[in-house]
Amino acid sequence: MSDITVDSMCANARVLVTCGTGGVGKTSVAAALGLRASQIGRRVCVITIDPAKRLADAIGLTEALGNEPQRVSIDSIGELWVTMLDVRETFDNLVRDTSPTPERAREVMENSFYRNLSRSISGTRDYMAAERLYELSNDERFDLIIVDTPPSRNALDFLESPERLARFLKHPIVRLLVAPGRGGLRFANAALTPVLKIISNIVGSDALTGVAAFLRAFDGMENEFSRRALAVAATLRSDATSFVVVTAPSPDALNEADHFVSELKRLGISLKMVVANRMPPRFGAATSTAEHLAAASASGDLAVAHMLLAAMCEDSERAALGIVGFVARTRGQFADVPAASATELPSDIHDMASIAVLAQQLAAPQPRQ
Amino acid sequence: MRRFAPTLKGLSSFMEPHHFFTAQRVLIVAGKGGVGKSAVAGSLALLAAQSGLRTLLVSFDAETIAVPAHERLEKVVVTPGKALTDYLASKGMGLISRQLAKSGIVELVATTAPGLDDLLVLGRIKAFEKELRADVIIVDGPAAGHAIDLVRAPLQLKRALASGPIAQQADEVLAMLGDGSRCRVLMVTTPAMTPVQETVEAATELRDDVHIVLAPVVVNKCEQDVPTINTTGMSQDLIDAYAYASQRMQAQHDAIMTLHSSLDLPQLSITRRHLDGEELVNAIVEDLAAAMETLS
Repeated sequence: MSDITVDSMCANARVLVTCGTGGVGKTSVAAALGLRASQIGRRVCVITIDPAKRLADAIGLTEALGNEPQRVSIDSIGELWVTMLDVRETFDNLVRDTSPTPERAREVMENSFYRNLSRSISGTRDYMAAERLYELSNDERFDLIIVDTPPSRNALDFLESPERLARFLKHPIVRLLVAPGRGGLRFANAALTPVLKIISNIVGSDALTGVAAFLRAFDGMENEFSRRALAVAATLRSDATSFVVVTAPSPDALNEADHFVSELKRLGISLKMVVANRMPPRFGAATSTAEHLAAASASGDLAVAHMLLAAMCEDSERAALGIVGFVARTRGQFADVPAASATELPSDIHDMASIAVLAQQLAAPQPRQ
Repeated sequence: MRRFAPTLKGLSSFMEPHHFFTAQRVLIVAGKGGVGKSAVAGSLALLAAQSGLRTLLVSFDAETIAVPAHERLEKVVVTPGKALTDYLASKGMGLISRQLAKSGIVELVATTAPGLDDLLVLGRIKAFEKELRADVIIVDGPAAGHAIDLVRAPLQLKRALASGPIAQQADEVLAMLGDGSRCRVLMVTTPAMTPVQETVEAATELRDDVHIVLAPVVVNKCEQDVPTINTTGMSQDLIDAYAYASQRMQAQHDAIMTLHSSLDLPQLSITRRHLDGEELVNAIVEDLAAAMETLS
């Protein structure tokens, strides 16, 4: 059995990535892990992609802040900072950083295609999340970055997005758009020109001219893009990064959690921990069968209370069974991966106090499964 | 939680499922991950078929929930990537379209005109509607918060491309989206404050920005009412369990009231069930049918 705990993970990781489907409380868990890590002395920055407004309020994130991390005022020996991904600002910074001259940077940023590209389109968002992770992990203010991935089935796409963009920039059609007249490409030109014509017919010639102008302005910057992409990829695959899959006990959430586990396996990334969140609480040791019997022999309010407890016991048993199955399947792919759990609070997470309760539950010694 | 829904029973005619579905031809079901959007979409489709309508269930993901078969229910999967490749093929790139998909040209086109794949998916749905493929088309929208991006895509593309086939396609799709007799969006939420707030925000955006007409909101996974009891003298387990259940009940009540006061839409409540697959869909169908009867 592995001896990794929430606390040891929070103490040692440089980057922590939480993934899971919507509704499992992934962002809350990311914030709770951040809080825990700061309580054991680390300087943590939690980056969240698109938090629910209520949760953003809970951790003190306001929209006006954009990309700049904001410190959460809490009582701990370390520091907790939070930031939201601003795709546009991240992309602009990247262009400024990588362009040879300020004029070239301006040329790129004023291009119509670039403006479309940097609007919140999913592929770009993935890529900028990776880029932002690169920047923050090189920021000396922090020694732990927690990435809360978007609640989508394709959340792990961001891991491959830098490579995808690099591949795109090297494509013959793209090169043709960049340098239509270059000698060595003449032969290729003849074959590709009709394809360009068709694309131009579909999207309109203005759009294609915009793309060509963008690519020419961008030319030469892609090497720096690729370098950063490789650096991010290396960080994510190293021991310094811990991936955590968060799930809830419902069948649909468990299905999605299975999917994330397989995706990590496919990408060759190791899973550090699974978190079973939103577990129904367990009151007392009585089994549901015993409760049903008790209810049958009682009457009035007592019968109602017994029925209520019986239903909650059943809920709790069903949830535990679902999680045991999930943990077993996961251990088939990642031997000995530890599991932490937390119960569903009576009302959803809406302030730092409830995040602190979650953090405490996650860090509590877990019964072996 | 039906007690919070408007109860106009007896005052005006009930809304039969048949009337609910024929109010529009396309019903796009939207909701965040975890609210049970696909199960609700599947149930709506089955209920429409059961009420005598030829129904088409469109999903964007092949791995969707199992919906029981019905003679009037047809299911199709339309993925954004496939819609784009099909479109390119129809524009004379047929022979090389597979090659193109592999080489990243499809991605180039998608990047050149962001949202193009989304637009083409809506274009396919519009085509189903035009050719009267079914009496009612239920669309199990994309996962997560992508629904707004989806219906915004034609608007964005229209801004980027003034003319050409894409702009024309965008116009046609916008005409469908803006006409409440052709198309409505049905939001699914759960009775908790966070999803409710997000539903209200999304609904407001859809209405104000894209001028979409909204169908009633489905409030899924409602816990059953906890009766008020006196726990004096009971064991601590019973007292704790009752206190927890009551607090949950209060939180659910608050969320539903917030939804009610911030969004001027009727609500259809579905009870939370510990079922999966076809059994779940059948159970939701029953609740939906009962809830529709309370609508005027």
